[in-house]
Amino acid sequence: MSTQSHPQQTPSYTLTCRMSHEAAALERLCQVVRIRGFRIAKMAVESVLEGTDETLDIALTIQGARPVAVLQSQLEKLHTVAEVKLASPALAHAASRIA
Amino acid sequence: MNGAQHILDTFHRHSIQTVFGYPGGCIMPLYDALVDDVRVEHVLCRHEQACALAADGYARASGELGVCIATSGPGATNLITGVANAHRDSIPMLVITGQVPSGLIGTDAFQETDVLGMTLGIVKHSYLIGNANELPAILEEAMALAQSGRPGPVWIDIPKDVLLAGTTPTPMRQSTPQDHSCPNLSGALAMLRAAKKPLLYSGGGISLAHAEKNFREFAQCSGLPAVVTLKGIGNAGKHSAYNLGMLGMHGSRAANRAVDECDLLLVIGARLDDRATGKLDGFAPNARTIHIDADAAEFNKLRDADLALRGDLNAILSGLSAALQEAPLAISEWQKQCQTSRTTGGFQAADNEEPLAPITGPAFIRQLSRVTPDDTVIACDVGQHQMWVAQQYQFDHPRHHLTSGGLGTMGFGLPAAIGAQFANRQSTVINVTGDGSFMMNAQELATIRRYNLPLKLIIMDNQCLGMVRQQQELFYSNRESQIDLNDNPDFVAMARAFDIPALKIERTDQIRRGVETILAYNGPMLLHVAIAREENVWPVVQPGGSNTDMIDETRRTPADNKEQVA
Ligand SMILES: Cc1ncc(C[n+]2csc(CCOP(=O)(O)OP(=O)(O)O)c2C)c(N)n1
Ligand SMILES: [Mg+2]
Repeated sequence: MSTQSHPQQTPSYTLTCRMSHEAAALERLCQVVRIRGFRIAKMAVESVLEGTDETLDIALTIQGARPVAVLQSQLEKLHTVAEVKLASPALAHAASRIA
Repeated sequence: MNGAQHILDTFHRHSIQTVFGYPGGCIMPLYDALVDDVRVEHVLCRHEQACALAADGYARASGELGVCIATSGPGATNLITGVANAHRDSIPMLVITGQVPSGLIGTDAFQETDVLGMTLGIVKHSYLIGNANELPAILEEAMALAQSGRPGPVWIDIPKDVLLAGTTPTPMRQSTPQDHSCPNLSGALAMLRAAKKPLLYSGGGISLAHAEKNFREFAQCSGLPAVVTLKGIGNAGKHSAYNLGMLGMHGSRAANRAVDECDLLLVIGARLDDRATGKLDGFAPNARTIHIDADAAEFNKLRDADLALRGDLNAILSGLSAALQEAPLAISEWQKQCQTSRTTGGFQAADNEEPLAPITGPAFIRQLSRVTPDDTVIACDVGQHQMWVAQQYQFDHPRHHLTSGGLGTMGFGLPAAIGAQFANRQSTVINVTGDGSFMMNAQELATIRRYNLPLKLIIMDNQCLGMVRQQQELFYSNRESQIDLNDNPDFVAMARAFDIPALKIERTDQIRRGVETILAYNGPMLLHVAIAREENVWPVVQPGGSNTDMIDETRRTPADNKEQVA
């Protein structure tokens, strides 16, 4: 599968995602990214309090050969995900790093 | 009211009368509350996997939410296969497990497992309740979520202290209302009108959306030749003029040929699974695709759609029907071609005329189909017998055919039949199983006896894991490996040990009598059907091969070429 291919040649994408801060929220997100054929190269997470609701703002750089729109709709389907936005794709140069 | 009592009260308010479960340490407060609650019938299965599969069968047969309950640790892990099964087939299910007390989570406490972490990939959503006051809102949300949009299992893991604590409900969360919108249909109609050879391809999404009636109306008024997936069997009804049957690996020649030739594929409530499409490169090579589904994530996942429509299938189907009733499609040539193809390339199993001949699987299922009442529910297991049911049994409604499609779970049939019998207490429910599959949940004979369910069990005994044997024969140079079951127990004696009467048949002339006897018996009964070990399911497409390369019996490897490995 695409996750085995060389990271330098694999398309890379930046996503931003807002989701509610429930138990296992991040694991759920990461699990979908992995099983749908992408690897995480970079990830930044910040928790934000909106009224009584705590949400997570997540910026993700991911790499994978499959169509990213399919991943996006899988992420949008998660019950706790409020929004997923895709920044324009760019080729990955940096070595993967999980923050 | 404590958390446990609140759960039962919620079941009552939502008219949930039957739940399937198994008690243990961390879920004991809920079982304690059950002692004083006569409104909910708790069915004690004999393995948590069977609880989940019974809840699944209940949901499939009724179209309502299935509920299963287990304790923490091994109770929860035993549920996993059943919940995964429901997830893969989008079955609405509520799963409730006890968890170790909040303060002990993360301390490797007795019977602690990380249920939330372990089950992320097999649920639509899941919760670990952190505080008793959250429980009421989460319960409501979970039940709505399990049944809305594309349904699926929702799992609530509840620490024991939360079950015991008093609940002061917090305000309900705002739920997203069900989407009943209908997208613009003009593009789809234009494509349908432009096509010369349009084909309707439907799946399990039709019954999941409760759209059986609108689908049938659409199939009829469009006159579209139609193929179905394994889970779509029954969508078109018994008497549909243009139904070519199941497509795919064990599909009919007529169905696979029509897909190969069509110039427009109208996919409704199906996800283009690899067992159905075969090798994607060769799948419907001349066709444009319209994909209609409740789940946008299915679009362009495996095949790019020329037009994708997301929305309520009922609204979409009735919109399409209305437009086509006004101006019907002009596809009579194509209809004729498909009808001819159905006569020559449908599923045909000759009835064996020789009374003393051994029973063959397809002929048995044909006979069964003729004798059973119209509202019979058949819960299958997994293997060759499952495919013979799919090919030969005439289903009039998709909810009459319970089969483990996405996960292909051996052991599904018996507990699913139990669930279905609780959902339809007056209907005839039959579990058609194999000698391998039966042994995966055979302990549920005790459940049948305990509740005196009038279930009928049919074991198609070929003394082997037939489907695996077939693939070894055809695709692994006849090298049989670990498929032999010739030391099966005496199934008749086994049933009798559970106080379930049973009989065995092995000749063609015994089929009718055998089936009629179990159907007429007022209570559970098992029919042990001995069939030939060497029988295969035909036609077959090699895994990963193209549906146009169907292999049929004439290309079978001679038996003397057989090499015994294990
Ligand atoms: C739980 C599980 N384990 C293994 C398999 C793989 N498998 C698919 S069909 C099959 C053989 C089933 O044998 P049986 O129930 O006797 O049915 P038959 O094919 O002989 O009709 C096996 C082992 C499976 N689908 N599910
Ligand atoms: Mg068998």
